[in-house]
Amino acid sequence: MGDAELVPLGVLEEQVLVAVLRTRGEAYGMEVRREIERVTGRDLAIGAVYSTLDRLEAKRLLRSKRTFGDGPSRRLFELSSAGARALTETRAMRDRLWRGVDVGGLVAMAKG
Amino acid sequence: MSPNDDSIQPRTRLLLTLLRALLPRAERDELLADVRAELAERSRAHGDAAATRWLWWQTVSSAPSLLRWGWWRERTGFLPPANEFRPGGPMLQTWMSDARYAARRLRARPTYTLLAVLTLALGIGGTTAVFGVARPLLVDPLPYANADEVVTFWMPGWWTEEEFLYLRDKFTGFRAVGAQRPGDVTMREGDAPSRLLPGRQVTAELFDVLGAHPLIGRSFRRGDDVQGAEPVAVISYGLWQELGGEQSVLGRRLTLDGTPRTVVGVMPRGFWYPDPEARIWLPKALDPVGRNGSWELVGRLAPGMTLEKMGPHLARLTSVMHERFTYSKKADKISTAKLTPLRETLLGPMRPAIVATFVAMALILLIACANVAALMLGQVEGRSAELSVRAALGASRGRITQQVIVEALLVGLAAGLAGAGLAAAGFRILAQSLPIGAWGESATFDWTMFAMALAIAVGAVLLVVLVPAFSLWRGDLRGSMSSARTGGIQGRGGRLEQGLVVAEVALAMLIVSGAALLVRSVAKLYAIDPGIETAGVAVVDVISSREMEADARRRKIEEIAAALAELPGVRSAAGAMKIPLRGGGDSFGITIEGRDIERSFTYFRIVTPDYFATMGIKLRDGRLFDGSDQESDSGGSIVINEALAKKYFPGENPIGKRMGGGFTGSWRIVGIVQNVAEAALTDEAEPSRYYLARQAAWFGNAGSFVVRTTRPGDAEGLLDDMRRTVNRVAPGFAVQSTTTMSRVLDTAVGPARQVMTLLALLSALALVLGAVGIYGVISHFAARRKRDWAIRVALGLPGSRVVTHIVGQGATLVAIGVAFGALGTVVLSRLLTSFLYGVTAVDPVAFVAASAALLAVGVLAAFVPARRAGTVDPALVLREQ
Repeated sequence: MGDAELVPLGVLEEQVLVAVLRTRGEAYGMEVRREIERVTGRDLAIGAVYSTLDRLEAKRLLRSKRTFGDGPSRRLFELSSAGARALTETRAMRDRLWRGVDVGGLVAMAKG
Repeated sequence: MSPNDDSIQPRTRLLLTLLRALLPRAERDELLADVRAELAERSRAHGDAAATRWLWWQTVSSAPSLLRWGWWRERTGFLPPANEFRPGGPMLQTWMSDARYAARRLRARPTYTLLAVLTLALGIGGTTAVFGVARPLLVDPLPYANADEVVTFWMPGWWTEEEFLYLRDKFTGFRAVGAQRPGDVTMREGDAPSRLLPGRQVTAELFDVLGAHPLIGRSFRRGDDVQGAEPVAVISYGLWQELGGEQSVLGRRLTLDGTPRTVVGVMPRGFWYPDPEARIWLPKALDPVGRNGSWELVGRLAPGMTLEKMGPHLARLTSVMHERFTYSKKADKISTAKLTPLRETLLGPMRPAIVATFVAMALILLIACANVAALMLGQVEGRSAELSVRAALGASRGRITQQVIVEALLVGLAAGLAGAGLAAAGFRILAQSLPIGAWGESATFDWTMFAMALAIAVGAVLLVVLVPAFSLWRGDLRGSMSSARTGGIQGRGGRLEQGLVVAEVALAMLIVSGAALLVRSVAKLYAIDPGIETAGVAVVDVISSREMEADARRRKIEEIAAALAELPGVRSAAGAMKIPLRGGGDSFGITIEGRDIERSFTYFRIVTPDYFATMGIKLRDGRLFDGSDQESDSGGSIVINEALAKKYFPGENPIGKRMGGGFTGSWRIVGIVQNVAEAALTDEAEPSRYYLARQAAWFGNAGSFVVRTTRPGDAEGLLDDMRRTVNRVAPGFAVQSTTTMSRVLDTAVGPARQVMTLLALLSALALVLGAVGIYGVISHFAARRKRDWAIRVALGLPGSRVVTHIVGQGATLVAIGVAFGALGTVVLSRLLTSFLYGVTAVDPVAFVAASAALLAVGVLAAFVPARRAGTVDPALVLREQ
């Protein structure tokens, strides 16, 4: 409940959430950054990624836990149900926005 | 090359250190380890230079978001640091998002916001300013050590030096007792004209009683106030600064009243006694047989004593007094014995005005609160569709109430700021228009007032928000959504809003009827004929050195009067020892030749020849003073007033009769003039007699010059010329003040006039606020029943009936409010009793006038929305919904 759910996600927030999904259980700061760079070609600052992850957790869209044992200790993030809802809603919103837009024409326009 | 710690270049190491410092402490090591791994990866793939560039970029572009987020998380307190066990909560964040949302809403409704903020700001600013002005008197600590131990004696201004010296070592229960009386002096430096120093004559104990210590030098000590002692003085900080502010002021000799006095001490900054006007304190050489009853006694209670425990000590004291002195019934000091705390004595005469103004301002604030509450209620109801959607989506009532509270707090914050601004702007005006004398001049506006304004604002807003919150808690949000959808008729409800209007009108009634009472009372005071023509008379009060010889002083006074009469625009000028409307002044015994009369006193005025013409006092019989009244050592001419003629010469013509008393010799009555208001405007006619300065001695060191201008409006403009003339003709005289007879009359009318002006202004404000409130509620009422009206009009009801009905609604609310207000007035108008003259606190005329004013305003305010509702096309309304 609360307003946090009603506020649509920012672009970076959306990318980070999707990257967390894509990295499947290996979602720690640097890995999320790498994933976004790998897919989008955007070289994000680790600070921006880290603070977005932390903020999303404060908004309860992500959960985090610590790994112990072999290898370095890490804070691993995973999507909460609220995060899943927020992502679905954002995506649905985008789909609605695009619905009926002449994509072919747009591409042609972009090519000049 | 592997970038482990040993091989990393110093520049890279510096960057890593920087990044490390930016990262949150709990996770910096693991995050940095990841960064290093990535750095090594990149250096392998793209070379060292590219890897270093990458690190540069990472560090620089990480900084803003890390710093911002770190600050937000750690410093604002809006979020507890998150971890597995305490993941941080959205609770506080909702407050922030509410604040943002409320700010957006307020920006989107500028009229509502402006109205709410300004309305509240008026009330807040007003109460803050009154509090600020009254603070030095009511709240601030007095500049005396343990001020609650300091008390004043009964019958202030009635004690004599003889009494004080007799009792001096007989006071018990006190640590010390001193005496003081007014003692303004002239100060002369070189050839410059004398100037007046407001001051006090005191006994040596005074500063010990007050527990006040000088900043430099000493205060008075035993022996300073005996006859033959070296004349000394203690000066105020302000006077010291004017004299140069040097240590060397100690030992400096000032020429005061023509005699040199040595400055022995300077009081610290902020010290005042008995008001901020006094600038110099002089020990009086006490006269063991001094019978001039003009002293006030102040004492400090002995350690452990309280006012309640002083009874036996006072009884002992009065029995000691009884052994030595006898008192007439009128001035009985034995049976009236009572001690009063110093603060009460200082505040006493000003309290009613301060309390009345403060109450009026608080009422304005309450009216403003009611108004804003009604506005917010309207907003909440206007939002009912939105709120019910929120509720349907799962927002709790608490959550929605929180939003309303946040919005109210924002309004309150803005109103507090605006109110502080208003208070600062209106502070000076208020300080000068309140009848509080020197305190008005010395009151200052400071930051505590700012805090005060904000505190009042928060209090007011919490009061305001109760109303919409109550309506939310009571209301059925989901129900209102369905009715909003169907455009349902909501004839009922709005009772809370109506209650607010009733309260507002009742509060306004309190102020308006108070103002009406004072207007009536003040009008009655001005309707009194003071026996003089006040318009076009300028007044200069002077004081001459006490040491000046009486004859020389009289000649100087005649010279000044002659010089003033020469000024352009002046018809006549005269001097008088005391002018009317300023307290009784001297009275002396009276004898009538050839007759035995009961021992009695009459007022005793010494004037120069043109006095009657200048003051516009009319001759009733005989003649006025003229050239035939020459200088004389034994008697001369005398002019009496009608009251004296009536009392001592009933049924006979007093002209030509001789009388004595006061001065030696035989005095012939040459004329009778009309009565004037001798001491106060409201006094009965008092017998008084006038002597010519040339024939009788001018025995005081103070006096006034009056000048009648050729045109009545010119008096004010002449004052500077008059002051210069006095300084030029008689440098030994100090100008104490300049004023006009009209202002003297205003002062004589008293604090009632000033309080009336304030209350009249506040009434206007209350009426405006009331009108806004009524307008808002009635137009809301009309809008809510729009459909209802439209159907009726469509069925044939004339539009005028709609108007009558809605105006009737407004009038009913106002009438109920007036009735409640009238009840309150009965209680509250007691606050004004001390200002009232010729009317009682429950005055039917004032009541009726106030009620009529409120009803008129109410009907007018209701008429506007009523007309709108009555003239609307029903087809349009029905189609719209």
